[in-house]
Amino acid sequence: MTTMVKVARLHLVDRFSYTWLVWGVFAFTFLVNYILFAAIGPFQEDGSYTGALLCIYIFMVVIGIQAATKFLPFAFTLGVSRRTYFLGTVALVVGLCAIYAAVMTVLWWVEALTDGWGINMHFFRVPWILDGPWYQVLATNFVLLSLIFLTGLLFGLIYRRFGMVGMVLFSGALVVLALAAVLLVTWRQWWAQLGAYLVDLNILSATGILAIVAAVTALGGYVTIRRITV
Amino acid sequence: MTAIVEIENVTRKYRGTTALDDVTTTLHKDSITGLLGRNGVGKSTLMRIITGQEFVTSGRVLVDGKPPLEHDAVLRRMIFVKESQIYPDIKVKRALEAASWFYPNWDHELAAQLMDDFALPANRPFKKLSRGMHSAVGIIIGLAARAEITLFDEPYLGLDAVARQIFYDRLLADYAEHPRTVLLSTHLIDEVANLLEHVIVIDHGRVVVDAPADELRGRALTVSGRTAAVDEFVVNRRVLNRQGIGGLSTATIAGPLDDLGSARARDLGLELGPVSLQEFVVRTAGTADETRERISA
Repeated sequence: MTTMVKVARLHLVDRFSYTWLVWGVFAFTFLVNYILFAAIGPFQEDGSYTGALLCIYIFMVVIGIQAATKFLPFAFTLGVSRRTYFLGTVALVVGLCAIYAAVMTVLWWVEALTDGWGINMHFFRVPWILDGPWYQVLATNFVLLSLIFLTGLLFGLIYRRFGMVGMVLFSGALVVLALAAVLLVTWRQWWAQLGAYLVDLNILSATGILAIVAAVTALGGYVTIRRITV
Repeated sequence: MTAIVEIENVTRKYRGTTALDDVTTTLHKDSITGLLGRNGVGKSTLMRIITGQEFVTSGRVLVDGKPPLEHDAVLRRMIFVKESQIYPDIKVKRALEAASWFYPNWDHELAAQLMDDFALPANRPFKKLSRGMHSAVGIIIGLAARAEITLFDEPYLGLDAVARQIFYDRLLADYAEHPRTVLLSTHLIDEVANLLEHVIVIDHGRVVVDAPADELRGRALTVSGRTAAVDEFVVNRRVLNRQGIGGLSTATIAGPLDDLGSARARDLGLELGPVSLQEFVVRTAGTADETRERISA
């Protein structure tokens, strides 16, 4: 068994959080929404939108942060290198994201088939984002989950390496970067073109862009972990 | 003795401070070495550098001839349990289970026995452990792993004297059966004095003592008696410490003392006494810079 596989197993040693906890919370959220909407009916003509899918994304952020702050020091104690820890962790969680995405896509399909579980509820069908052919929904689910996890991991690593001040500075730098982009677009009067581009953008290209962002985030995490000390 | 860890001119500087200053030392294969010194003198930094968790500013570390940093083949031969080891929010038994995967020589029986010795609740999550239990888990993992190179950085925080004795006894017993290289950093010098085969004392980032423990026992001694006689005796000798009450004085002097010296002490009516390892370390590492001299083997 290579060390990378052991790292993956290390994360799963607490089976509870990856199985019962995440899907339990998910099932609970679903039930609450179902009972609520079944009892009081749709608020809108075209169905009820729950937005409850968010809970699984919050879970992915937490996994990412914990991987950087809690599991990493333990892995260091057990003689794991930074590189191996990073690759093992990312391989495992991205793999889990694929499984979660597959399950979510199947439920998305069932939801469409049953006309929103019989009460026109939109739990897994998010307009525009999770809309279209199944493979597109699968890809979007997978990329979104992975991106959120990698972002949590990156922030956790930055926190471990540079502390609270470093994390605030990093977040600030991201805001400044976004501001600079907005100013640039305003200054060059690109708003019209940008709007037109976004309107034309299909979800598959958007997923592609997010996949690139996820890859950059992963690279950032790798660069950070190589400099980390605990 | 074969060197398994070689530390060559290692310096580690942080913004404005020097944690380690040109440290050169060796860990011998299959020996127990004590890494002693006051708080914040660089003991932990040195241990983190040996295990590839910290970077050097200059110099190098070789473990069995290879640099440990990011080198899985080298790192997996080591285990390093820290004072305030961080664990994931899992149960104790899960942490032991996970640790056992990483060490081919992991001894489940020893782990179970130590769980009993320390009365550790296997099903309790780390969040609900007391300080002492938390430390005990680190000790169990460090011992049961049977890693070729085992490092403990003050692993006993919150452990009572009985539990600490269990640690020393088990360490010694298991070491006798399965020799390995142990590096133990500690404040409780007198407690571990009998365990140590080799002693490294660090002060202000520098190695001030690096010698076999046996040899250190003759390195310093006390002479006590009338102040005038003590004054006469210590002329041209290096005095590490001096204390006096009324007309009586005790001086800690650098050894060893030859036969002539012993005879002279007798003539002057002075009493010679041994210095404990703890006192020796306090005298060599705890004094002001001007009186401190470098002693190396």
